[in-house]
Amino acid sequence: MNGPDASHDEMPGFFPGRPGGEHDEPLLDMLLERRPIPPGAPRELHDLACVLAVAAGPAEPGDLAGEAAARAAFTRLPSPSGASHAAPRSARHRLTDWPARGRLPLAAALAVAATGLGSAAAAYAGALPSPIQHIAHEVIGAPPPQDAPGRSLVVGSSSAPVPSPQTTAPASHKTLRVTATPTSTRPGSWGWDSRNPRYSPGPTYASCRPAPSPSQNQARPTPTPTHMSPAPASASLSPSPHSVRPSVNRDLESPRPAISSWTPSPSGTSCPSVPG
Amino acid sequence: MIGAAFRDILASAQADDEAAFTQLFRDVQPSLLRYLRLIAPDAEDVASDTWLQVVGGLRRFRGEEHEFRAWLFTIARHRAVDSGRSRARRPAVPLELTEAEQQFTSPDAADQALEAMSTQAVLALIASLPGDQAEIIMLRVVAGLEAREVARIVGKTPGAVRVAAHRGLRKLASVAARPDIERASTKPGVTQ
Repeated sequence: MNGPDASHDEMPGFFPGRPGGEHDEPLLDMLLERRPIPPGAPRELHDLACVLAVAAGPAEPGDLAGEAAARAAFTRLPSPSGASHAAPRSARHRLTDWPARGRLPLAAALAVAATGLGSAAAAYAGALPSPIQHIAHEVIGAPPPQDAPGRSLVVGSSSAPVPSPQTTAPASHKTLRVTATPTSTRPGSWGWDSRNPRYSPGPTYASCRPAPSPSQNQARPTPTPTHMSPAPASASLSPSPHSVRPSVNRDLESPRPAISSWTPSPSGTSCPSVPG
Repeated sequence: MIGAAFRDILASAQADDEAAFTQLFRDVQPSLLRYLRLIAPDAEDVASDTWLQVVGGLRRFRGEEHEFRAWLFTIARHRAVDSGRSRARRPAVPLELTEAEQQFTSPDAADQALEAMSTQAVLALIASLPGDQAEIIMLRVVAGLEAREVARIVGKTPGAVRVAAHRGLRKLASVAARPDIERASTKPGVTQ
């Protein structure tokens, strides 16, 4: 302490280390709890109460700094029901609010998914180079390459299941076809297995098939990009140029008899509905 | 302090009512900033981090007003500690107590000076106390927390908190009652 201090007579029991130093504790507790102290309390305690009242006083202009940021954070918070109260803001805007480290895995996952879908669509469309098409044929049941229909290309395990009308495709294949293609394009309705010469292509997918080349075996209709492509929803996600729509128009213009025998599929494939 | 309406306001804020959230913010932010200015040089940044965390956990919060404030000040203290770690060994700027003393002096009587003193000067006066005492007084008086809540926040026992608060208040009273401050008020040109 610098300089002269208040005497004990002036502040009895107030300063520490002096007789009666603990007697002021109830008053100090009252100050801490912001309760009014009795009028008979020492003047210094009243001054102290004034100091504390100023410290806990009302807000000053600078005391509300950051309100806009806090409110913005609050409005960005998604609501429990899943819809943000910033509903007018687009999902794209919200995505840009994410930190970069959160966007990177998402973008990578989307790219991988798009690539996978595109590759699968291209494989089913028969648009891949022959060796890769053969691999796709072996692995995911895509149609074999047209230029080498009887050639067997062994890739990896030779025991890979070869889809045929008599065999059951692997679970993943089956799931893909059931959910992404019309019922008429299931493996059982494909006509590319020579072991089933009695098989004839179903009417629904035949309507989406382009006219075969003269050299093509009519008894073994090879699935074409159109009828082997996934469902329209998947096709729209695929970056492959072999999408359903352009080829459908050409198919419908094809003079093949299969077109005239087309009957609407109950599964509602989009191919026949496209105007010629 | 909001008082009896706190429960409804909190419920509204938890139901995405921005106006209710603003009420909560405006009620707590002044005391939060004053507390943070005592313990963190970058008080505004720490306050922003604190509110971000509060917003993130608001819907999960259950409790009364004093519990809400205790929760919020606990977050604030943690964020201040984190901020201090990130600043690592940056030297702290010591408070100029004489400035504070000059600011709250007045040419008139001492009580008038105390009544008229600015919040800034008072906070500087409290900041002149030993760190733990100043922090405890701020949490008890400015934040309005109870001793046991302050004890949880600062990691002491309620008894230790009470003792530290009493010591701090006594020192504060002795500083406010110093005759040299009254003498400073007579210096020409020294106004509040």
